[in-house]
Parts: sequence; C-alpha cells; structure tokens
Amino acid sequence: MTIRPPTDLAGVNRRTLLTGTAALAAAAGLAYPRHVFSQTEKNHPLAGKSIRMAILGIAGWLPSKLGVDMSPDFAKYAKARYGYDVSFSFADAPFGQLFQKAATSLATRSAEYNIIISDSQWLGALATPKWIVPLNDIIAKNKELDIEWFAPVVRQAYQTFPDGTANRYGFPQEGDTIALFIRKDLLDAPGEADAFKARYNMEMPKTWEDFEKLSIEDYTKLAEFFTRPDKGYHGAAMQYSREYDFISCPLLSFMRSQGGDVWDPKTGQVQGILDTASNARAMEQYKAMLKYQPPGAINYGIAEIVDVFAQGKAFSAWQWAAVGKAMITPAMQGKVLVVPPPGFKQADGSLKRDYIIGGQPWVLNAFNDDAHARVALDFMKWWYLPETQMEFAKRGGNPCDKATLSAEGFDDLQPWYRTYKYMLPRSSDFWHDPKYSEMLAVQQEAFTAYATGQINDPAHALAYVACKQQDILFDSGTASKQPSGACAGIRL
Amino acid sequence: MLPGLLLIPVLAFFIVWNTIPTLWLLGLSFYRFSLTSGRAPIYAGLLNFQNILNDSGVWLDLSRTLLFVVSGVGIQTVLGVALGLLFWNSGRLPGRRVALTLLFAPMVLTPVASGTFWRLIYDPTFGVLNAMLRGVGLSGANFLGDSSTAFAAVLVVDVWMWTPFMVLMTMAALASVPKAELEAAEIDQLSWMQRMRLVLLHHGKYILMLGILLRTIDSFKTMDLIYNMTFGGPGTTTQLVAITLYRRAFEAFNMGWSSALAVILLLISIAFTATFIFVLHWRDKADA
Repeated sequence: MTIRPPTDLAGVNRRTLLTGTAALAAAAGLAYPRHVFSQTEKNHPLAGKSIRMAILGIAGWLPSKLGVDMSPDFAKYAKARYGYDVSFSFADAPFGQLFQKAATSLATRSAEYNIIISDSQWLGALATPKWIVPLNDIIAKNKELDIEWFAPVVRQAYQTFPDGTANRYGFPQEGDTIALFIRKDLLDAPGEADAFKARYNMEMPKTWEDFEKLSIEDYTKLAEFFTRPDKGYHGAAMQYSREYDFISCPLLSFMRSQGGDVWDPKTGQVQGILDTASNARAMEQYKAMLKYQPPGAINYGIAEIVDVFAQGKAFSAWQWAAVGKAMITPAMQGKVLVVPPPGFKQADGSLKRDYIIGGQPWVLNAFNDDAHARVALDFMKWWYLPETQMEFAKRGGNPCDKATLSAEGFDDLQPWYRTYKYMLPRSSDFWHDPKYSEMLAVQQEAFTAYATGQINDPAHALAYVACKQQDILFDSGTASKQPSGACAGIRL
Repeated sequence: MLPGLLLIPVLAFFIVWNTIPTLWLLGLSFYRFSLTSGRAPIYAGLLNFQNILNDSGVWLDLSRTLLFVVSGVGIQTVLGVALGLLFWNSGRLPGRRVALTLLFAPMVLTPVASGTFWRLIYDPTFGVLNAMLRGVGLSGANFLGDSSTAFAAVLVVDVWMWTPFMVLMTMAALASVPKAELEAAEIDQLSWMQRMRLVLLHHGKYILMLGILLRTIDSFKTMDLIYNMTFGGPGTTTQLVAITLYRRAFEAFNMGWSSALAVILLLISIAFTATFIFVLHWRDKADA
C-alpha cells in the first residue's frame, strides 16, 4: 500500500515533509527513555488491563509526597512498557499515627494499601506478623532491584530485619540524616566574626569545611553567641517533643557519638548498656542546650523547628535533611548554609559523628493479589531507574543509590545534598524490633520527664527506661535476661 | 408480637456493636497477645490484671485522672451554676441568644480541634496568650512545656470546653422549678439563700447531679483533648489513664494488657453508672 501525503499538504515540498517527519521521530525518540522502546514487554500478564493501586504515606513529608507526585510518570511508563493502565490513590497519616493506620489495616489481612511507606524502625513490627513481602527471592529474580547503595547503612536501616541478617523487607524510598541549618547571613554580618573571636578566642566557622571540623563544645559557643532574645532570635533549635521519636533521635545521636549505645541487638540486653554514666552525661549536655533556644523549645518537633527557623527566630536548627525545602523558604533563599551537625571529641582528639538515621522504606503488602503484587514490583523497578532517581533528587527527595549520589553535580542539586551525602555513612538506626513502639513510648516518656524537669536525675531516667525496655524485650522473648532486682517498683 | 419484632433491629445493633466486642475484650484480657508479635494469643489467666495492679505507673495515671476529674468537674459545676443563675429569667436581656450561642460553642467543638488551637494559643513563641502577657509587661510562660504548669493548663481547656454543659444542666434544673413555688417564696419574702436552698436546689438537685455524674464519666475518659495538646507530657505530667490505654493498645499493640486495663476502666465506669442509676431511683422514690 502506498502512503500518500494528505491533500492539504499537497503544496508542501516532499523533501521538506520527509525531513520534518524524520526530525520529529528523532525528537520523540530522544525525549522518551530509550529502554521503553528497546525493552517493551510484549507478554506482560497485565497487558490491556486497568489496575488501581493505593499507596499509604506520611502526611506533610515532602519525600513521601514526591513518591506520590511522581506516580503519574509511572502510569505513562507502565502503559508504554507493559501495556496496562494504572492509576493511584493515596492515603496518609502523620508520623505518630501512620504505623497505627498501617497495622490496623494489615492486621485484618487487608490489601487496602498495596504499597506502604513505612518508617525504618517498623520493619520488625511489620515483618514478624508476615504483613509485608520478604524480598530476598524477588531481588534474586530481579537483579535490577539488587542496587548498590551509597553506604551500607542504607541496607541495614531500610531493608534488613532482623538486624545483622541477610533478610530484606524494604526498598529505600528516601534516605535522611540530621543536618545543621545555619543562618549564613547572620554569620557573615559585619563585625560578628571579630566579636566572636574577641569573646571566645577562636575563629568563627563560616564555611562547610569549617563546620565539618566543629565540635559540640565550639558549636555551643556559636549558639550562645547568637542567642539574642532582644533581637528576636536564639542560637539553636532542637527537638524535645514527646511526640513519636522526636526527642530520641537527636538525644541518641549525642549518646552514640560519645561512645554510648542503647542495646545489644544480638542478645536484646538493655540494662548495663543504656543506663551508663556516659549516656547520662549526654542527657545533661542535651538538656543544657535548651538555654540557647527560643522559649517553648521543650515542645519542639519537626514542624515547630521548621516554623521557628523559617520565621527567623533561630540562628541554627538541627533538622532532618528531608524537610530542607520547607526550611529554606523563598525568603530564606541564599541566607542558609546546610552543614554537618557538630562532631564529638574522642579520647584521641578526633571528632566522631554517629547520628540517628531518618528516612523510610517502601514495603509491599503481603495480602496483595497477583495483579497488584506485580504492579507493585513494576513500580519498584521504575522507581530505581536512574532517570527516576535523578528526577526524585531534582525535586528535593533524597535518593540512596550510589549511582545517583555519585553523579556529577549531585551535590549542587539541593542545598543540603552535600551534607546529606556526608552524614549518610555517619548515621545508623536504632531498634528494628517488633516491640519498637512500646519501647519508644517508655523512652520518650522518660527522656521528656528529664528534659522538662519532672525528674532531675538523668541516671534515674535511664535506669527507668532500661528496666522497662528490658522487661518488654524479656517478655517478648527477644532478651534472655529478665530485668534485675533493682527494677522492682521503679518509677519516674 | 409486633412490638417484639420492632425491638430486633436495635437489639441486633446492640449485640453486634456492644455485647460481642465487650465479651471479646473480656476474653482477650486473659491472654498475652501482641498484634505485632506474629504469635497466637497465649492464655495467661489473671497475669495481665496482676501486672497492671503491680504497675506503679498505672496507679500514678489513675491518681492523676482522679485529680483531673475532681478538680475539673468541681470547677465546671461552680462556674456552670453561677453562669446558669446569671442567665436565668434573662429572657428580655438584649443579646441573650448570641451570648448563649457563644457560651455553648466550646462544647460542640471536637476535642481534637479544641486541643489544636489551644496548643497554638499557649505556644510560647507564636501564641496569642504569651503575646498578650508580654503586651502588658509580664514575662511569657511555657504553659504546656513546663511540668509545673502543664496540668493546670490542660485543666483550664477542659473547664473552658465543658462549663457550658453545666450551664445547660443548671438552666434545665432551674426551668424545672414550679412557678407557683417561686411566687410563694416571693410572697413569704424568703432571702436569696433560702430561696436557693429550699426552692431552687430542692427541685433542681437531681438534674444537677445528673449533669455532674455525666461529666464525671466523660471526664474520666478524657484522651483526645490532652493527647493533642501535650501527648501526655511533659514527662508524664498530663498522662491520664485513657492516654496510657490508647498508647498501649494502638501504638504498642499490646492487646492483652490493654484489654485488661480497659476491663478495669470499664468496671470503674460501671460504678459511676450504678451511682447514676441509684440517683435516678432516689429521685423516683422521693417524688413518690
């Protein structure tokens, strides 16, 4: 059959028409990812079908929202590559309620949410009752999902349960670390550096490299120097809220960076590990920072720190890198430097940073039917395509794969990426135990009791937490030793 | 036959949504069962009850709850009666309807919403209360973050929210007083105190007692209002027993332990309800 140009193009030169068509085809080919055409799966079991997927994520959390915002791109990709139509619905809940929402649904063996953005510490609680899909076999059959991560902690925190095993249950959705957001405009204001040097006999840190060498003692001087209530701002903003794990994450970072720990994951032992003099000192140190913070800092969680920093009421803020976009508002553009949080001096004079990791994995609902399980798998394969991860990074998410984080120019994509990359290998998670939330509740209660002055002895707060957590872990069979006799009748 | 049949829907509803879950709860309270353990429930007899009764934290939560109930309901009753008397016979007062509507507004708001905006009002950095205090030259306070003020701060919100209910009950009580007796008191030139004691309180006391009992039962269950303001903190300063129950049941998913605590709280609530029914019977007997 001969194809003729339409009559209304009769006046167009044949060569011009052919050249134009070829150019359009070439442009289309370049514009769309090449593998879509080269790897189209003709025999996909869902080809021609329409699937509706549901994702459960974290409310008000940008990286979680990005996973949702980018899903229409997956729909296009799935149509082109696999030949099926997919649409997404979304549900969310704040950090404190998300596990509850997921668990109550999964406990009824519901496939209400096909893909869930879980917090890293929940892996044990979701995997133990077999609510989420074990991924070892899936990864073995789909090598493109066996990704090289930027640091081993990515696999440990977002994929592995129990700790130290090769069992994988999660795919990293976003990585996250604690970062220090600094008001560079205040740092660079005329006369400040000289005044700082005159007062503390040290140079004021000004660059990213200066902050890399900054110890907690020197940071405290900086916080004190910039505490100016008369001018409406204070030197620091840190988390002390009782909600979820808000006080625990920075406080455990203080403990771990000074050689402390919270438990032994192999034996489940807490007593003797958490309730140490070193950890008690870390608690005193963390509480002492309150005097450089705005009134009400004792209630600060993630959102409150965003508010005080964005409104110019804090010179520096300890915050998750994931909320960098919210911290650096249009009014703050160019005024903020994102640097590593301070290091802690070791006996040999070196600085150590062992901070708590943030971030969340994707987990797949074990009660999905075959079709939804297949789409969830296709979604994961799409999620880890280099171009998807790069797009995620450009929009402000925090990818974890080595290829994206090592790509040229990655550090400059977002103001916090250099720090995020630096902190990722210097961060670690705490328990992945199924009793996570019960242990956390006790810990939050005691830590805030000390921080707010309900009790005045940090050693007592730690002893209380250690006793209660030891009891919880012994009761669940994780710990071999029951709480010691000193725990009888212990209370805050 | 027909009246019996008409009862079936409501009975079915009651059995499905009330009786079966309560029996289930009672059964679960004798088991060790965590939703996230991946293990089947293990029969433990009275172990959960024993653990709760030996838990000093639970006793502290209960004592805090008792203090919250007694002080909250007490203040609400005094204020409610005072305001109710103020509005009594105020039919011709200009703006009465608007004033009453505004007065009752807190009661119809959801506790979660009330908790959220009171948290913002109390906020030491952005809150309007501290701004006002600073405006008159006083130093601000961290009402919800300071363990010496947090309990009082949440109590104030509970009083703000539920005093209107006691106003409503007082107005209902006053409306129940026969007009003839009021006129007789007027003719006999009884003093204000005598009129209060011999006429108003005599007729209105049952309705007032009902109000107090309903508020006591409701106050005992307070959870959402406080959880939204302080999460039970700072430390455990505002942790009422209902918050502990919520935490253990729906954050920690320790279903056996929390079922046992729920059974204990249910028994306490039944005690309140029994008192309430006793008061009603008392009224019936007195009226007879």
